[in-house]
Order: sequence, then structure tokens, then C-alpha cells
Amino acid sequence: MIRRHFRRPDHSVPELNMASLPDLIFTVLFFFMIVTHMRDVEKQVQYQVPTGSEVEKLAHKGSVIHIYIGKPIDGSSDEYCIQLNNQLATVSDIARFVETERKGMSEEDRERMTVSIEADRDVPMSVVNDVKQALRQSYALNVSYAASERKKN
Amino acid sequence: MLLIFFLVTSSMDAGKGLNRQMPPPPQDQEQVADILESDIMTVVLDADNRLTLNGDTVSLQQLQREVREFAAVNPKHRVVAIKTDPQTKYDAYFQLQNAIVAAYKPLNCPPRVSEVMMEGDEAVSDEGKGGQP
Repeated sequence: MIRRHFRRPDHSVPELNMASLPDLIFTVLFFFMIVTHMRDVEKQVQYQVPTGSEVEKLAHKGSVIHIYIGKPIDGSSDEYCIQLNNQLATVSDIARFVETERKGMSEEDRERMTVSIEADRDVPMSVVNDVKQALRQSYALNVSYAASERKKN
Repeated sequence: MLLIFFLVTSSMDAGKGLNRQMPPPPQDQEQVADILESDIMTVVLDADNRLTLNGDTVSLQQLQREVREFAAVNPKHRVVAIKTDPQTKYDAYFQLQNAIVAAYKPLNCPPRVSEVMMEGDEAVSDEGKGGQP
């Protein structure tokens, strides 16, 4: 035993096998590709959704359109703004927005189309009501008030 | 491992919310719904986010109990009427909706809700009935 040791005094670390490195890098690459693609809308308004005990998951991702209501992040104004897709909009833009979104949907998505209203807790009801009336006019009748889940007490 | 990864990421993005159905837009020749006075429960949510039921200020828990009792008799015909002020905070409104949905949950019937917004002393006409009859 001791003799063998003497014969091979080389204690250097064996070289790392690099063969699996490309696989690893590709895995990480795909991970980031998938994760970053999920949010294609950049939020321009700041909001904190209320909490509720009866919230349900939004069923089909393809049939959901989002309307964000909150204060602009860049602080350009102190008013509550509506964001559709990637730009700030007004109530009168909602009808057109719903139409274009509806056109881009498949037949079955169109029927179960749901509008997710993601509004800040402190938004006055006048704004929310205007949005709802606009949605009613364009027959987008399924709404979902976005909220986070609260534990039942 | 990939499978688990996809399971996690796909469920992560699904937003959560309180689902409600709105009535179709008001028609020109709107037929007046004949609902008995006794079948309507009016809840007022004022500018200070106070809930008022038949003139009394109530808490959310009280309201939920009242709504359940009220609706249990005839959930298909009884209507909850919500009156909100333009200055009401969305959170208060959401909590009210949440309470109503919770109250109707054991009844196995979608809530029938009519919403009106007060503008000054005048009510903006909105004969909405949420949920299918």
C-alpha cells in the first residue's frame, strides 16, 4: 500500500469531464426562454389587488384579456389610469380593444372569453364602473375581479 | 424533472379572481322587470366605504349572514341590489362581492345582483342583473 503510494505521488485533481456542459447550458437557456416569455405585457401601472376568500383560478389562458387599473409607475400623473396591452388608454378605447382581442381568438375561446380586471384597492368605483359599462356595451360579460387568495377564518 | 418543471410553470401564471357575470347592455325598449318589492335587498356602499342594509350599518360578516338568509328562501327570484358611490374604494366593493358570492355558495345558484351607481342623489339607470336567472 505504502509502496504504491510512493510510485504515484501525483495528487492532482482529475480533470472535469466537460461533455455534459452543453446540455446544462441548453437546459438553463430553455428555462429562461420559457419563463421570460410568460409575461408579454409590461406593466405601466402600479396596483395591489384585493384579497378574497372565494377566488377561483382563471380557467383558460387563451380566452382571458387583462385590463389593469392603477397609478402610472413613472409617476407622470396621480390619476388612476387604465392599461390595455402595452399602453395607457381611456375608457373609450376599451370597445376597440375588446373587438381586436376577440378577433384574434379561436371560436371556442371567444365564447368563454373572460375579462380579468386587475385594479388597485384604492381605485374609486367611478372608474371601475366606467370600465364595466364599456365591457357590457361590447358584450364582454364574463368578468373576473383579480384578487389574491385569503385564508378562510 | 422536465415534467415537474412544466407543471409548476404552467400553473404559476394562471391568475386568480372572483368570477362574475354581467348582464347584457340595456336595450332601447327595456321591459321593466317585475320583481316584487319584498324580493329585493338593497345594500348601500357609501363614499366612506360603509355598508348600509335597510338603514343600518352592518359588517361584512353580518351582511353575509343576512344575504344567505334572504336568498335561501328563493334564490332564483330574489335580487340583491348594490348601490355604490363614485368615491367608494374598489376594495370595499370587492369585499362586498366576495361576501355575496360566499353567501350564495351553499345555495348552488349564481347570485342575482343588480348594480347601480349613485351620482349625486340620482341613480344612474342600470337595471343590471348579474348571473343567469
